[in-house]
Amino acid sequence: MKFLKRFYMVIIFIMLYAPIITLMVLSFNTSKSRAHWGGFTLHWYESLFQNTDIMQALYNTLIIALLASVIATVIGTLASVGMNAMGKRSRSIFVGVTNIPMLNSEIVMGVSLMLLFIIGRMELGFSTILISHITFNIPYVILNVLPKLKQINRETYEAALDLGATPFYAYRKVVIPDIMPGIISGFLLSFTMSLDDFVITYFTKGPGIDTLSTKIYSEVRKGIRPEMYSLSTILFATVLLLLLIVYLHPDKNKAGSRRKQPSKLRRAGGILVKRVLPAALAAVIIFGGIYYFRGSSTAYTGEVVVYNFGDYLDYDVLDQFEEETGIRVIYEEYETNEIMYPKIKSGAVAYDVVCPSDYMIQKMMQNDLLQEINYDNIPNIRYIGDIYMKTSEQFDPGNKYSVPNYWGTVGILYNKKMVDEPVTSWKILWETKYKDSILMQDSVRDAFAVALKYDGYSLNSTNMMELNDAQELLLTQKPLVQAYVVDQARDKMIGNEAALAVIYSGDALYAQTENPDLEFVVPDEGSNVWLDSWVIPANAKNKENAEAFINFMCRPDIALKNFEYTTYSIPNTAARELIEDEEIRESTTVFPDEEILSRCETFNYLGPDTEEIYNRLWREVKSQ
Amino acid sequence: MRRLRRLKNKRAWLAAPYGVWAAGFIIIPLIMIIYFAFTSDEGGAFTLANFSEAFTGETVKALWLSILLAAVSTAICLVMAYPLAMILAERKRGAGGLIILIFILPMWMNFLLRTFAWQTLLEKNGVINSILSFLGLPSLNIINTPWAIILGMVYNFLPFMVLPIYNVLIKIDKEVFEAARDLGAGPWQTFRKITVPLSVPGIVSGITMVFIPALTTFVISDLLGGSKILLIGNVIEQEFKQLNNWNVGSAMSLVLMIFIVISMVVSAKTDKDGEGSLL
Amino acid sequence: MEENALSSVLIDMINISKSFGGVTVLDEFDLSIKENEFLTLLGPSGCGKTTTLRILGGFETPDTGKVMFGNTDITNLAPNKRQLNTVFQKYALFPHMTIAENIAFGLKIKNRPAGYIKDKIKYALKLVNLEGFEERSPTELSGGQQQRIAIARAIVNEPKVLLLDEPLGALDLKLRQDMQYELIRLKNELGITFVYVTHDQEEALTMSDTIVVMNQGYIQQIGTPEDIYNEPENAFVADFIGDSNLYDAIMIEDRLVEVDGVKFKCVDEGFGTNKPVDVVIRPEDVELTEPSKGIVTGRVTNLIFKGVHYEMEVKAANGTEWLIHSTGMKPVGEEVGIYVDPFNIQIMNKPEYSDEEAQAVEE
Repeated sequence: MKFLKRFYMVIIFIMLYAPIITLMVLSFNTSKSRAHWGGFTLHWYESLFQNTDIMQALYNTLIIALLASVIATVIGTLASVGMNAMGKRSRSIFVGVTNIPMLNSEIVMGVSLMLLFIIGRMELGFSTILISHITFNIPYVILNVLPKLKQINRETYEAALDLGATPFYAYRKVVIPDIMPGIISGFLLSFTMSLDDFVITYFTKGPGIDTLSTKIYSEVRKGIRPEMYSLSTILFATVLLLLLIVYLHPDKNKAGSRRKQPSKLRRAGGILVKRVLPAALAAVIIFGGIYYFRGSSTAYTGEVVVYNFGDYLDYDVLDQFEEETGIRVIYEEYETNEIMYPKIKSGAVAYDVVCPSDYMIQKMMQNDLLQEINYDNIPNIRYIGDIYMKTSEQFDPGNKYSVPNYWGTVGILYNKKMVDEPVTSWKILWETKYKDSILMQDSVRDAFAVALKYDGYSLNSTNMMELNDAQELLLTQKPLVQAYVVDQARDKMIGNEAALAVIYSGDALYAQTENPDLEFVVPDEGSNVWLDSWVIPANAKNKENAEAFINFMCRPDIALKNFEYTTYSIPNTAARELIEDEEIRESTTVFPDEEILSRCETFNYLGPDTEEIYNRLWREVKSQ
Repeated sequence: MRRLRRLKNKRAWLAAPYGVWAAGFIIIPLIMIIYFAFTSDEGGAFTLANFSEAFTGETVKALWLSILLAAVSTAICLVMAYPLAMILAERKRGAGGLIILIFILPMWMNFLLRTFAWQTLLEKNGVINSILSFLGLPSLNIINTPWAIILGMVYNFLPFMVLPIYNVLIKIDKEVFEAARDLGAGPWQTFRKITVPLSVPGIVSGITMVFIPALTTFVISDLLGGSKILLIGNVIEQEFKQLNNWNVGSAMSLVLMIFIVISMVVSAKTDKDGEGSLL
Repeated sequence: MEENALSSVLIDMINISKSFGGVTVLDEFDLSIKENEFLTLLGPSGCGKTTTLRILGGFETPDTGKVMFGNTDITNLAPNKRQLNTVFQKYALFPHMTIAENIAFGLKIKNRPAGYIKDKIKYALKLVNLEGFEERSPTELSGGQQQRIAIARAIVNEPKVLLLDEPLGALDLKLRQDMQYELIRLKNELGITFVYVTHDQEEALTMSDTIVVMNQGYIQQIGTPEDIYNEPENAFVADFIGDSNLYDAIMIEDRLVEVDGVKFKCVDEGFGTNKPVDVVIRPEDVELTEPSKGIVTGRVTNLIFKGVHYEMEVKAANGTEWLIHSTGMKPVGEEVGIYVDPFNIQIMNKPEYSDEEAQAVEE
């Protein structure tokens, strides 16, 4: 029996720690791949500390957690004292309200707070996150302090009064120290909850502000940077250390503890908790503050809020822009056009410059969401090839609202080792022998484009019969699909996780350089050719800064940098000439020729009703 | 005495800041949800259309799937947690503390990373399959299936089932178990007739603390379901963040709240002390 | 209190040793318990009496030795298989069951028919004077009532032996005294063996047929209450039971002992010549007379009225301090004579080990 118990504990232990150990091991892995060991390295730890984004998010997380827990502890402790003095009925009302955040699902809480802030015209940002955290922290404090208040001996308080103390003094000197363990545990619990919170922060945050959790979430969709593994390892080790220290700290309140000298280890623990810990905490806050504000201490002449596809430029150029112009860049990312659009439409956040796709620009224009660009402020537009400006007119007649940024095609990326037949048609994505090895795009237009083209229809079809056929196809395909992904497709193909993927040409190039077994093809039935351009929303607050930004992006050296980072085709002909590698410069994957382009269509905006239909059909596919 | 009573009433006002905060940031937001659920997105007139729009075929399917997965996860958690709580409760105090610490420690790792790590473990070429193929065993293919989501739920919520049960078990006087043995009950009989009935408050608490988060999660289905599996949490998230359909989203949230309210009522009934202490 | 020398031995504990975490609680402990006797294990906290009881009940297993129940070796037998039942210190009633369900618990396990159980419950409640309490819940009852239910629950199973672990500790004085009589009555009515654990020597003296005095895991003395009280065998027993005048003394020769230079005639023999011994004289056995009639003279230094008797402290001329209980009173400051009948002087061997020594007063 004892053996069984031990065995069970060990199993549980393994299950609990398996993911953690995995992350820790991966943090030392030279290879970015998640399943192959490339050798031991500390490289990721180095780059972690150099990565301002992550460090910023870490700092935000710590500050928010600290502030929120402190404030929550104060309010909560006062509330507990008050509640303890209430009549039974009032108290149960308060207790009931306190239980709501604890029992309520996080998503409902997050959503309700978001609504409150938007309706109340509060700008989503640091303060809204803080308020939300305080809100869900207070119950934890109350639930730790209130029982303690009930436990303590009432008579000590009355004795203090009897000896001449005022109630306030009595509370300060007698009651508070007595319930201090409850206050501290409430504080620690709040701190923990804030540190780890994701859902509520996700809904109540504004652009540019990220906590660790939200940063990780945005990373996860793309494919996690190994620096994250390092960060989590460090956090875990820190917490482990802290808990060990606290555990070894001699507990004076333990009943029956002999007053002999605690062992050296425990005394060391005691010193660590009482002296070193607060000092360390103060150091973190001070240095973090310096670091944090160093960013904003540089005198900025203004700011520009940029909203772009994920991983769609070389982040270094942002720093360069800030240095050269003195304009601060607040940068946010989105995964698909459909996620971006409602945000612009609702006006909840005022972005200055956005990079939508062709059909989406059309939609935004039709909905009066864009303003005309003053091209006098964008002299570098002359570097954009004429043909691209001409193509733009398909959705932006007269080129009044947009400046081309990237373009490309959509095709099939396949692994030569896993697919031994020639790939020429979309048909291959319906072959049962590739079951669970096919990656499709998690985007309504892209998915339907594949099905429609396979069927021989236009990918701008509004014909119900055609659309239903396309949906049929997608439904039959679903069991064969390993996953619907967006940016992760690239990393998964590099990692040999799947045999076939629908992917953008830019991603294809990157994948091929990382994994030579991969090939890219635009199927015979044809595909989509797309153009992503910079636009300025109608409610932008910093129009001129936006134009300066776009102008900067059109500079050949900058465009080249972006190309090298994203491997997406650029319409900037001057930059293209600067590409050193001839193979790439002339590659038809990266720069498809006339032949390929003739088979391709651009997406059009189909109007709200048709959009509704597409969305509905797509939802039906996803929820099968 | 009267002086004390007057003091007591004054002291009750210390809870006023909290009262105001709660009204503003707990009550009012919930009212907003109710408001949005019952009004139309153009004009703001009263309507029930949001509910019918919300509960189309696939949303209902998502809801049922969520309920199913949450129920299965909760059941698995209960079965796994109970023996664990018993084992932990048996240990003597000093040593027990360390074990509990080791058990709680993983919760300190970021929730998203922990869940994401399972993706790494479960993938086709992931860690587990690498080990299995090394040993010549067939590969485990549960990534992006409901089973992976259940695994993620159980992994993340197990401690919330263990702790309430553990807290109840340690409060039972050891002598009660000995009395049962003394009166002739074998180990299994003692468990059935004494341990389980006395631990019911903890079980109820645990179920509440697992079922609700499991029901409404969207991160776990996102990370481990490959975006192939839509749960109600995903649907609501999409309505709010991607489609900006606040009214429909609120309607869905309101329906979810029904489950939440039920669990609040149940837990209030088993919480006799009026302390509201769940953990 | 009956002594039945012909009773057979029911339980035999042979050479029992038990340690917890390096601390030895029982060391080569031997004890025989006869049928139908009321045997009390008496001693201070930590002396091993509770451990002994738990070994009998099956909640601890001895490190060495064995426990024989009749002809069966029950050392490793599980508690639920033994024919003993325990009344626990904190009653241990099942809070989620009614009184009737509590009492019926053991019978249900044994699959007794429902009618039989119902009758038994009634009988048990009558026995402990709590008729009509069937549907109550344990949390509604007072300490004394819970105690009686705990007893009822144990005895319905008709055990051969009832083990009681300091069951009266949490009750106030009057209730405790009542319960003591109840327990004796129960034992006689049921005709079963009681093994009782307590640290209260008055309780032990009141109820027991046999007292086993224990200290630090060793048996100091086994005997009837009168034996233990009147003829303690060492300083510990003498000091633990009742009040005593305990002195270092020298045995001059048989029937003559010297305390602080004063010789006393006594009736004990065989302690050697000029050997150091311990002497104990009970306070009620010391007579105060006129100074000329005493063996030694003294002066009264303290006087307290205790209701039942007067308690006086007298300092003798040779420096010895005496404690006297008497119904007669001598005021403070009076010169008195101290006289002790030889029969009332008990000679004991000097303690060989620390456990035999009188206990120091602990804060």
